[in-house]
Amino acid sequence: MDQTLLEIRDMRIYYATTLGNYKVVDGVSFNVNVDEVLGIAGESGCGKSTLVEGLLRLIVPPGHIETGEVAAPLITDDETTNCDLLSLTEEEFRRVRWKEISYIPQGSMNSLNPVAKIEDQIVDTILAHSSFTRQQAKKHVSELLEVVGLSPEIARLYPHELSGGMKQRVIIAAAIALKPKLVIADEPTTALDVTIQKMVLQTLVRIKKQLNCTIIVVSHDMPVHAQISDRLVIMYAGKVMEIGPVNDIFGNPLHPYTQGLIATIPSITRERKRLRGIPGTSPSPSEWPSGCRFHPRCERVMEVCQQEEPKLREVSPGRFVACHLYL
Amino acid sequence: MPPLLEIKNLTKVFSTTRGIFGQGEIRAVDHVSFSLPGDRPVLLTMVGESGSGKTTITRILLGLSSPTSGEIFYKGKNILKMTVREWEEYRKQVQVVFQDPYGTYNPFYKIDRVLQLPIRKFKLASSDNKAQDLIVDALKAVELRPKDVLGRYPHQLSGGERQRVMLARLYLLRPQLIIADEPVSMIDVSLRAAFLNILLNFKDEYGMSCIFITHDLAVGYYLGGQIIILCQGRVVEMGNLDFIVHEPKHPYSQVLISSVPPPDPKDRWTEEADFKYSELRRSPDLLVGCIYRDRCPFAMPRCSEAPPPMIQVGEDHQAACYLYQ
Amino acid sequence: MGMRVLFARSKLLVIGLAILLFLVLVALFQPLINKLLIGDIDPITMGSFDSYLDPSPQHWLGTDRWGRDWMAQLVLGLRYSLVIGALAGSVATLIGVIFGFIAGYKGGMVDSTLRTFTDMILVIPSWPILVTLAAYIRGLSIPTMALLLALFSWPWGMRAIRSQVLSLRSQPYVDLAKVSNLRDLEIIFTELVPNLLPYLGVSLASATVGAILAETGLELIGLGPGGDIITLGLMINFSLGWGALALGKVELVFPPVLCLILIFVSLNMINMGLEEAFNPRLKRVTGG
Repeated sequence: MDQTLLEIRDMRIYYATTLGNYKVVDGVSFNVNVDEVLGIAGESGCGKSTLVEGLLRLIVPPGHIETGEVAAPLITDDETTNCDLLSLTEEEFRRVRWKEISYIPQGSMNSLNPVAKIEDQIVDTILAHSSFTRQQAKKHVSELLEVVGLSPEIARLYPHELSGGMKQRVIIAAAIALKPKLVIADEPTTALDVTIQKMVLQTLVRIKKQLNCTIIVVSHDMPVHAQISDRLVIMYAGKVMEIGPVNDIFGNPLHPYTQGLIATIPSITRERKRLRGIPGTSPSPSEWPSGCRFHPRCERVMEVCQQEEPKLREVSPGRFVACHLYL
Repeated sequence: MPPLLEIKNLTKVFSTTRGIFGQGEIRAVDHVSFSLPGDRPVLLTMVGESGSGKTTITRILLGLSSPTSGEIFYKGKNILKMTVREWEEYRKQVQVVFQDPYGTYNPFYKIDRVLQLPIRKFKLASSDNKAQDLIVDALKAVELRPKDVLGRYPHQLSGGERQRVMLARLYLLRPQLIIADEPVSMIDVSLRAAFLNILLNFKDEYGMSCIFITHDLAVGYYLGGQIIILCQGRVVEMGNLDFIVHEPKHPYSQVLISSVPPPDPKDRWTEEADFKYSELRRSPDLLVGCIYRDRCPFAMPRCSEAPPPMIQVGEDHQAACYLYQ
Repeated sequence: MGMRVLFARSKLLVIGLAILLFLVLVALFQPLINKLLIGDIDPITMGSFDSYLDPSPQHWLGTDRWGRDWMAQLVLGLRYSLVIGALAGSVATLIGVIFGFIAGYKGGMVDSTLRTFTDMILVIPSWPILVTLAAYIRGLSIPTMALLLALFSWPWGMRAIRSQVLSLRSQPYVDLAKVSNLRDLEIIFTELVPNLLPYLGVSLASATVGAILAETGLELIGLGPGGDIITLGLMINFSLGWGALALGKVELVFPPVLCLILIFVSLNMINMGLEEAFNPRLKRVTGG
């Protein structure tokens, strides 16, 4: 029986503008199980990056969390009384951050301090979030580098002496420094060469095995999810469209959007056939379509789709879909 | 019939200053040679990682940069020795789609301008009315509704729409050769197929050849045709795309192709990537022999002496590797 | 762009422009206003009226030491101050833009040379030189004064324009223009200049402010245009010199000061407003 690490309930993140609220994340609910790699997939504007920023309480004005609850008893256990991550005090959450949940943001390999050695940067991160001494932290650095497949010698180098792939792995090393229960990686392979991508993905799999942690991978790149995710959450226009085990999602996608997504991925391993994209374009938060947000682009649209928003329903154990075709 | 495009030993060297002690140099393009046939339209996918030189080659072909040495012949004419008149004609026949759907539009003007300018500059219409007709035609040809596009500013359209307007621009110009520099890498996945299909259509219906630069092999594979694989400025393998993708001969090509993530959870990677050897190093001493010998599991003493020549390893299949000599 | 759109983009810009427009109109209609105030009398002729009269319906700000209507002088002074400021600001901006553009667009040696030259001008202590020159050339005419001021305020505009051109030059749309057979000059004027307009506006506003400040400064120490020219700075100089404050005649001191402040405030509002108005649009485009 899968244990639940996070229970996300009705997450809504709105951005206040002069024209009203932009509902970037608009009622997202799903669970994250212990020891799994959960993939969050979706294209630009679906709200996936904002969602994880919300989980980590990194939303700044004009954005704000309108409602939402993230129950995480296994994480907050030893630290606090309340188990909702979003209602912890700043101080309480600070204790959780990095020790229990760490974050690898988009493009983070470029955020390394150019004038500090790798070793020092990782040590500083460790010291900022724990009570280790500098000596202890330094020793730990070699172990960390080895876990991500880097030679301990690079600890003495500066960021500009490393390649893109190496920098990304240093970031991963820093993220697992305190053996967190959950690692959230936002687009970890974007802008990387394909040979490096493979390495970074395999590094993530490696750290999961060695640390027994849970990983959330946010990526618009479906092949990435095919390779490392166990379960997938498909997002579109601020909502969840489908959830399921990765084999099911790829083999038997239920939601028309998911079907369109899967059908449009080119592959070098399969026979070449004419691909079809999804007509139209993703809507923007300033004008979410009425009813089901995907209806303007859906081939199987029905009348009810324009009027009523379909709720996310469990159609079989572990398989969720938000579509009138299944209601 | 002369080849459409013939590139011989194209080289571009950038000099960098390294500290106060002297010049370093980067060979962005290093004796690259290939050609496109003149008797039929061809799609050539140019694949390479960062630093492979593919962008530099496209800039040289478009006249935005000049090579250090080497020759480029377009329909038999040396483009590096052309008159202004000849360049104008060349530009009409060799056109581009850039990668960035945001930066290619001047935010000050409406979208229409990107279509009006080529008509004006290449004298494609004799009157404003005819020009407007051409524009409407072109938009319809790429399945965009003119009223959704004309009169709008770039920021009002999505990335996918903007790239398609660029295709409409190509439709207007009917170039013989399209240089497409990573045209789909910055647009949503669900919008890519439409773009690629139009490109394929341009080849089949209008005979437009295309050099398609990409780092995403799967996209290149979808287009089919020819392929050329670059590594740090050198050609490593080239020929028929299907042969090469299914049976790559050069060790680098093999690594590259095995790094493409199959979009199938039942087809997962089993072996771990070689962590220690996977980083390419750029260093002057590597220039002497094969560019890949640092990381190649099959490296022989010969590989350090001189760069390997292009060797025929099959019909329409060449690889620059001593393993096949 | 429609006024309403501009207003939505930046209230600051519109208010600043409104204030400036008001001042400019007053300056333009100076002869008419003068007629309304004091009839056909030349405002700077001494002895037209009794000295040190208190403010009254006939003389809104009273008269000064030499019996001149102060309000009429204020309007005239405003006119001359604006003219000098505008002239100097325009010349400075012109020089700065030309140099900045060439440096940014050409790059390489040309850029290095121009940058060094600009830095040299910046480093020169402009104030002492201005004072010396002004002292030597007694009774400066307006154009000369404007030129002098411009010679020292163009470097700032140059740097702003140069950095903008540098960033614009590498935009993909410039590449697209080249590939569409546009010539260099065409690219400069049709692709780059429109995107530079807000920066030109900012340069102009800054240069004008700088020029008027310098001019006022010179006049406060007794240098500046001679002859029949009266400026706001001179008015402040005179009134302070007469000890107007001690005499309790504050209406001689504060109005020109307030006028100057109004000019600065409006120009600065335009400055900030331009950035407000044009940046969100650029950001929206590049942010995707």
